Amino acid sequence: MAGVTVAAEWQLLYNRYYRKPELYQMEWKQVDLTRNKIACAPFAGPIAAIRDDAKIVHLYAESALRKLRIFTSSGRLTAECVWRNPGGRLIGMSWTDDLTLACITQDGTVYSYSVHAELLSTFSLGKECFNFDNSVVDCVFWGNGVVCITEGLEILAVPDFKAPRAVKLADCGLEELPHCMAVIEPGYAKSGGVEVLLGVGDHVLLVEEGGIKPLAAGIGPLQKMVLSRKGEFVASFTHDGRLLVMSSDFSREFIDYTCESALPPDQLAWCGSDAVLLYWDDMLLMVGPYDEPVRYIYDEPIILIPECDGVRILSNTTMEFLHRVPDSTVSIFHIGSTSPPALLYDALEHFDRRSAKAAENLKLIQSSLPEAVESCVDAAGYEFDISLQRTLLRAASYGQTFSSHVRRDSLREICQMLRVLNAVRDVDIGIPLSLQQYKLLTPSVLINRLINAHKHLLALRLSEYLGLSQEVVIMHWTRTKISASAVIPDATLLQILLDKLKICKGISYAAVAAHADKRGRRKLAAMLVEHEPCSSKQVPLLLSIGEEYSALVKATESGDTDLVYLVMFHIWKKARPLARDLFIKYARCYKHEFLKDFFLSTGQLQEVAYLLWKESWELAKDPRAKGSSFGPRIKLIEKASNLFAESKEHIFECNAAEEHAKLLRIQRELEVTTKQAIFLDSSVSDTIRTCIVLGNHRAANKVRAEFKVADKRWYWLKCFALATIQDWDALEKFSKEKRPPIGYRPFVEACVEAGKKDEALKYIPKLSDMGERAEAYAKIGMAREAADAASQSRDSELLSRLRQSFSQNAGGSSIFDTLRDRLLFQALS
Amino acid sequence: MSQIPNLENAPINLTEIRTRAQTELLNILRDIKGDKCLVIDPKLSGALSLLVQSSELKENGAELRHLTAEPIQTERTKVVFLVRAQPDLMRFICSTIHNDTSKGLHREYYLYFVPRRLVSCENVLAEEKVRELLNIGEFALYTLPLDEDVISFELDLTEKESLVEGDETAVWNIAKAIHNLEFSCGVIPNVRAKGKGAARVADILTRMQTEESVNTSNMGIPLPEINTLVLLDREVDMITPMLTQLTYEGLIDEFLGVKNGAVELDASIMGNQQEGKKAKVPLNSSDKLFRETRDLNFEVVVQVLRQKATSMKQDYTEISTNTQTVSELKDFVKKLNSLPEMTRHINLAQHLTTFTSKSVFAERLDMEQTLVEAQSYDICFDYIEELLCKQEPLEKVLRLLILFSITNSGLPKKHFDYLRQVVHIERELLISYGPEHINTLDSLEKAGLLRKQDSRGNWLTIKRALQLLVEDTDTTNPNDISYVFSGYAPLSIRLVQHAIRSGWLHLSMSSFPRRSLEEILKLLPGPQLETKRGGFSSIPSYDTLPGSLNSSEKLANGRRDLVLVVFVGGVTFAEISALRFLSSQEGMAYDLIIGITKVVNGRTLIETFISDWDK
Repeated sequence: MAGVTVAAEWQLLYNRYYRKPELYQMEWKQVDLTRNKIACAPFAGPIAAIRDDAKIVHLYAESALRKLRIFTSSGRLTAECVWRNPGGRLIGMSWTDDLTLACITQDGTVYSYSVHAELLSTFSLGKECFNFDNSVVDCVFWGNGVVCITEGLEILAVPDFKAPRAVKLADCGLEELPHCMAVIEPGYAKSGGVEVLLGVGDHVLLVEEGGIKPLAAGIGPLQKMVLSRKGEFVASFTHDGRLLVMSSDFSREFIDYTCESALPPDQLAWCGSDAVLLYWDDMLLMVGPYDEPVRYIYDEPIILIPECDGVRILSNTTMEFLHRVPDSTVSIFHIGSTSPPALLYDALEHFDRRSAKAAENLKLIQSSLPEAVESCVDAAGYEFDISLQRTLLRAASYGQTFSSHVRRDSLREICQMLRVLNAVRDVDIGIPLSLQQYKLLTPSVLINRLINAHKHLLALRLSEYLGLSQEVVIMHWTRTKISASAVIPDATLLQILLDKLKICKGISYAAVAAHADKRGRRKLAAMLVEHEPCSSKQVPLLLSIGEEYSALVKATESGDTDLVYLVMFHIWKKARPLARDLFIKYARCYKHEFLKDFFLSTGQLQEVAYLLWKESWELAKDPRAKGSSFGPRIKLIEKASNLFAESKEHIFECNAAEEHAKLLRIQRELEVTTKQAIFLDSSVSDTIRTCIVLGNHRAANKVRAEFKVADKRWYWLKCFALATIQDWDALEKFSKEKRPPIGYRPFVEACVEAGKKDEALKYIPKLSDMGERAEAYAKIGMAREAADAASQSRDSELLSRLRQSFSQNAGGSSIFDTLRDRLLFQALS
Repeated sequence: MSQIPNLENAPINLTEIRTRAQTELLNILRDIKGDKCLVIDPKLSGALSLLVQSSELKENGAELRHLTAEPIQTERTKVVFLVRAQPDLMRFICSTIHNDTSKGLHREYYLYFVPRRLVSCENVLAEEKVRELLNIGEFALYTLPLDEDVISFELDLTEKESLVEGDETAVWNIAKAIHNLEFSCGVIPNVRAKGKGAARVADILTRMQTEESVNTSNMGIPLPEINTLVLLDREVDMITPMLTQLTYEGLIDEFLGVKNGAVELDASIMGNQQEGKKAKVPLNSSDKLFRETRDLNFEVVVQVLRQKATSMKQDYTEISTNTQTVSELKDFVKKLNSLPEMTRHINLAQHLTTFTSKSVFAERLDMEQTLVEAQSYDICFDYIEELLCKQEPLEKVLRLLILFSITNSGLPKKHFDYLRQVVHIERELLISYGPEHINTLDSLEKAGLLRKQDSRGNWLTIKRALQLLVEDTDTTNPNDISYVFSGYAPLSIRLVQHAIRSGWLHLSMSSFPRRSLEEILKLLPGPQLETKRGGFSSIPSYDTLPGSLNSSEKLANGRRDLVLVVFVGGVTFAEISALRFLSSQEGMAYDLIIGITKVVNGRTLIETFISDWDK
């Protein structure tokens, strides 16, 4: 029975089963782990290997060149490069969380490599502290940083590789190198910074940036120390051959196991969070909290790679995954198990063999069928063997048909995840993630890792399958493609790129173009940016690749004035220092110099004239120029007038400017003679009016003559001006000077407006038009006279309008009586 | 009554639009922790008053100030500027910051642009070296519901900016606002535009749809809520705003000026005894009586108010004389509830009659009518000339002068009056009002509002073809939009009417036996276009023009189709009233929703053109 064979491979540690299925036969050949420094990334990441320079070179078996080689977890070589970096021996290397390989050499230089073995960056831990007698001796990495100890017994930390900067931790007064070192990474440390544990003498020192703290006095010299994943527990190996598991502040002890050997193990690692692995030469010992440990014998060297849910064991030939057997799997495959999931699994086997026992089994577990299905689904998720996954899922779906209380989603979800996992576990891809690791890593990070490893097609398919945005994948692909296709001609490459880009709606062509430009393919960039539909992205890019003119065209087309400004500012800043300066000056002081130049250069002389004319007003307003501005003003206006005179179409403006200058001169003169500053900048009409009001009729007449003011205007002006100063005698005199050429209406209206009924009556009878006469009477409230005049004019419309307006004043017969006082309004009746 | 209108009856979900803007604004304030000084661009305060109560702003720790040229004085350590993106406003901000730094004060400054940040503004800040001191954000207020059927694209755009200075910013903002609207209502399938700005909005809208498409399938909106978009540029019809509006709301705006849905006047007019105090009267559809009367011709409003008062008086007499049942008493009390509304509008109407009863008002209406008829050239000319001589307010004169220029296709170069004296009208204007108005004339000419007489006039053709002058208009029971101007049907609304009924292009109309509407459109300024968008052309019911859908189909649908009419560059209340009238007509299968940049009247429109040289 399958169940038996499955469980036969399990080992019991206290009450828990462990298993270590083989993930891969390593694809590589002749890689000897003992002769190389190896760095394996967690979450089934890549493996980096480089010949250990502490070992003697086998001249015939190995190349003399040292190569850094990168493999997948299945042992397939993906990249290599020759290691020629100076800086002495390589002290340590490790993968960071975002899969760059950090390598530290003796002189404190950190080299970062990509998964393609390309050197990304280098930085030094601080040049001044390194010389011949002070080099890096040891280092401990975590996901995003490193702690080093130097020969001078200084401890340096890089808390974050993304901000490569070394900090010196507190001086702990060491006299010799510590026995062992472990790091609590900033995310889990209490202080929030890097905390380093050092096994010194017979105690432990906790070192931080700010200070040191002795811990665990009298614990005895510790030979090896390793922290659990979240830094809560520390496993250590004492000088007398005991394995101690304690809380990381050494206050509580959980395991104290005495090993057969007092020799410290080569490797010490946590397996999940409830077992510790110790590895000596050929033996792997797994110690749990209780009972006898489990022993595995290896006849070849191995490397332990801790994961969140177990340990991967890498040997020269295989990759295994040691982890606890999940409860659901135990309940199905445990020898002699009669739990509902085991019976369900059994039922499927009977069903497949067309045995009636299937029904019997189902009957037995009818009540707990949902749990049984759930367990099968769960167990399938943890399985690496595809055929076993399938059988378990079939059992689940078989059980599901007999129960209506099953959560159908979980089966679908697991199937989806397993499809993804099986795809990436494929030996060609070599990412043997477990379900738990996958959940922790998240799909989008997985896709990013695939992209990074240039597995674009798989990444694209997965994104599509998982409903994630394909844009990230396509964008990365196009960039990689551009970088990798230096020899493909622009037009061909463009076509290749466009074919893929169109998969993704709304993708930013501008971003791709920007990359092409960065790669020195300006022409390709220009072609790509043509396809960008979004002007606000297109225009800035066109500017950056120097296509100012088409940027201007696109900006104008978009109708977005902000973009047009952007282009203009850019051009001004870049191309023409003179124009730029003028423009800035214009913007700063709102002077017209720049605009004037612009209009002059485009031949719009009249616009220049308008600007000059406007300036003449600004001069008048300028408090600094008080009194002295008159001359310059006239000059400006005359200049404007001359410019207008340049074209025939602006004769009117030309004359108007001349008249303006003339007016100003006259006003200036008036101000001098009358000693009153009330004339400047008023209109011709106002000037005349002011003269009359001041009683200076001679001046009024002079202005009238100068500007050839028409009789009509003159009469209206003078009548109203005289009414303003209530000089009724003068008004009457004026009316008798000669027969007013435009009639007596101005006289009537001036009086009516001033409320002088008696005065008005002098002129109303002189109105020749009966209609006008009627209205005038009406205005001063003489209803009968108005009616008489109106009837003489035989204008019935006028008559009715007058009647209406009189009824309003009468007010008596309103139909609106009071409902309340507030409702009383007679005017509307 | 609140100034913030009730939007429950709106044909599309306007409440949501407003709530979104409210939340965005309050979040801006909440995100800046603690007490702060909120400095508002004065031109925005009106819009904000339609959005949130000022008490709500204060609850969020904000002390309110207006942005002026004077540096802000405040004790608060955080200063939040909320401004339109205008370079000149940046200078005010700089002066406040410079003032603080010179005094050694260190404050946190936040700058929020409405509706979006602009390079030109940030450049000013960078030049003044304050860019680094400011936390810059955006308050994307593109759309603001003014009433249940009116949305404003909250722009302080003037006709002058677009017509004279060629600044297209406003046009882009309108397109953006409509595009944003489409995200909640779906892509509008039919677009009709007339006029330069309008056509440009349509262009940009299409472009935006390709740049950032409104995805109809994912949004769960199978069909667009709005069926047709009619874009009309103000430049197409400058006649209408020059005429005196005769609807109730229009007349209030003409004489008293409506600002952000409210009118401010002396408290004494509203029956309040406090002398010299100002009273603010909100004017929106939440006021039932106003809702009923706002769109009516003012003559009719007076009658309606009288009727209501009379019937109330009758009720009162009945109540006091006869014995009444409890339920009858209850009805009466209910009617009494409307008393404050009644009083308010009676006071307001009474105040308006003090203007309308003057003979100059009648004269002016006569003259406007004569100008639109465009038959009696000399009478019009003399009238305008006399206004000039009397130095009547300039914008009043310009209104008539513009009418004169449009209807006569330009101003005469020379004119001989009956005294055989040469009258050059433009020179006369300068003599009356001062030489700086050469600039006013220049602006108006560039905008095409005043022209030198040249081409053959087409006003008569347009007027006749579109039946703009309607004899015997019944203002009480109107059957045509001409009631809003007592006999003149606003050109703009006639165009909208045709656009909705049958489209503008490629159709010869029954009412146009000889000329197609297309030809008439060509006589008006600016390009015209008609497009289909959003891939709806494949759906049969949208393939045909909406007017040809028969009405039973509409009813089966359960809801009436919506038409969004957008005026690019200002609209008058009278035009809004005319549109409401259209929408309420029997046999009209559409609801109308009106998008405006701002409400204008002849005075406010012209004021922007008047020379600022001497200011």
